[in-house]
Amino acid sequence: MDLLEYQAKELFREIGIPVLPSQRIENPREIKGLLLPYPVVLKSQVRVGGRGRSGGVRFVENTIDAIAAARTIFNLSILGEYPKVLLAEAKYDAERELYLAVVLDYTAKRPVLLGSGRGGMDAEAVMQHMQQVVVNQEFSPFYGRHLAIAMGLQGQLIESVSTIVEKMYQLFVQKDLDLVEINPLGVSSDGKVMALDGKIAVNDDAIERHRDLELLVSKLADAKKPPSSLKTELRRLNWSTKEGNLGIICNDTSLAMATLDLVSEAKGKPCECLILGEDIPTLHPQQLESALEQLTQSKNLKAILVNILGNAAYCEEIATVMGSYLQERVEKKTAIGAMKIPHIILRLGGGNLDFDVDRFPDLSIHAIDNLDNAIERAIALAKLPAKTS
Amino acid sequence: MKLKPDSKVLIQGITEPLASIYTARMKAYGTNIVAGVSPGEGGQQIHDLPIFDLVEQALAVTGPVDTTIIFVKPYWVLDAALEAIAAGIRQIILVTGNIPPLDIVCLLRTAEATDTLILGPSSSGIIVPGSILLGTQESEFYTPGEIGIIGQTGAIAQEVAWELTQAGLGQSISVNLGKDAIFGSDVRQWLQILEEDDNTKAIVLVGQPDCGWERLAEYIVSAIDKPVVAYLAGIHSPPDKRLGHAYTMIAYYLSIPVDDADTYQHQIASFKQAKIAIAKRPSQIPELVAKALKK
Repeated sequence: MDLLEYQAKELFREIGIPVLPSQRIENPREIKGLLLPYPVVLKSQVRVGGRGRSGGVRFVENTIDAIAAARTIFNLSILGEYPKVLLAEAKYDAERELYLAVVLDYTAKRPVLLGSGRGGMDAEAVMQHMQQVVVNQEFSPFYGRHLAIAMGLQGQLIESVSTIVEKMYQLFVQKDLDLVEINPLGVSSDGKVMALDGKIAVNDDAIERHRDLELLVSKLADAKKPPSSLKTELRRLNWSTKEGNLGIICNDTSLAMATLDLVSEAKGKPCECLILGEDIPTLHPQQLESALEQLTQSKNLKAILVNILGNAAYCEEIATVMGSYLQERVEKKTAIGAMKIPHIILRLGGGNLDFDVDRFPDLSIHAIDNLDNAIERAIALAKLPAKTS
Repeated sequence: MKLKPDSKVLIQGITEPLASIYTARMKAYGTNIVAGVSPGEGGQQIHDLPIFDLVEQALAVTGPVDTTIIFVKPYWVLDAALEAIAAGIRQIILVTGNIPPLDIVCLLRTAEATDTLILGPSSSGIIVPGSILLGTQESEFYTPGEIGIIGQTGAIAQEVAWELTQAGLGQSISVNLGKDAIFGSDVRQWLQILEEDDNTKAIVLVGQPDCGWERLAEYIVSAIDKPVVAYLAGIHSPPDKRLGHAYTMIAYYLSIPVDDADTYQHQIASFKQAKIAIAKRPSQIPELVAKALKK
């Protein structure tokens, strides 16, 4: 999860990376109490890129201009995101701008230092001049000097830039981060460096052991609970279509992905794909029930494909839950009267288990253990109207 | 890789709920589990196995161990693995997943220096059907035979095993590399292991589009003589996040169109060009394997 610029800069300040004097603004009225001398830069605190180009960064010379600019920025959505906070910062005259980052290279399985002699908003130029140094063993400042030299820096700048890189690396390791980025790092005419903009991405799996980061993240607009290390909850595949008519339930993410492939290839129209929490199989029966309940509520649903892979004991448990869920529906239907029950295609792979569909003569239940056949049937049934009585 | 039916196996974190379930299953399959480790619970027993506080204490009683399987909670995995390496264990299976990536970086540095094989994190382990079960795979889908499976996804590899079993094609081994973005032994290492394995006649690769198989086709052509069949699950699902080369990731952050050299279309095209069979669906795999074996 990405932190906001002002949060990243707080961490920079703590570790000793130079940042400009700044102040957080939560309301345009607070501008009157601004302690910074003008001219000042007001920056929208959103996490999407391109705020400079869309008018989310403004230079102001006095209080009247600043209040007007602050109002405008608060009301400006950048790719759909409105800022809750602005950052007012002193203006800085950079003679030159550099790009620096520390990131994990998943292919090399090592952290990598990245640097470009052309920092700033022109992303293409940044990439074109990008240099990298892989941190193979324990970090030592020489890795930073290698990067500085590769970036074409000379004299004093080698030392001052590699010092920044060293601090970025410390931050990266201390806080278990996914990314520390400074773009741009401003270089003044007298060779001083300053982090003018910064980005920090925290790692979801590590955040629980960093209380300070947890606190920062909880302030974000879309703060989510960090995912627990065990997948125990009902989840959905990051994908769905409103027009779809076929709901899918699987007990593993990769199985769900493969199922979605097969349905899509056969021109089926999936609406939603739910996955029973993978790591604790004993929770699945209960989750199956809520998954069925959840899918039945989607508007265009005509059929549900339950695709489960498991051993005999597991499949038997799933079949039992399925049976009692259907029984309950049948009883409810008798009590309430008209009620739609979708077609249900139950595929219990590997279990060698016969689900007794004859128990529900009034429902459209189909137990098919061959995956291809189950999918073909599910798509065909989804085209028919659901049984109403 | 030492994988004899009598290989000694240790379970770290044996009192974790998952460990308890699967230790019983592994023992029932005939795996030679000799002890468990769980700090603070030394002296107790579980599934008739002695529990020790330290790996070193366990080994003093059991003698050298070939493989340890780690089930401890994510933040303790690095420590447990380093303890095993320090005690001289050279094959480690990490069943626990969602481990902070920098812990894995740290572990891999030590593993490389000590020539330790790491499988996982979030790996369901290894099965040699009819012989040994190490981890959490479902043994019911497997039957002894000559096909090696390398899975770099979740349970879909077991669907593939089930298809092979139903078609009468047994398996020599099935190994799961895990689902975390950063992991130990990779597909190239395991292709090499299976290439040298006398019991394996053909290899099935099961992956997903973002699992980092760039230039894998070239590698197979140059280094692997046994027939290979590949299957990628999830080509219709959007990738959650691009994880790979640092360059690609930064380009992604900077929202520059990323060179699509590593997209799945490209991967599939490179496999086709190298004449490596790619299955469209799990049910097609037995037929492709049978065909490849005839050549």
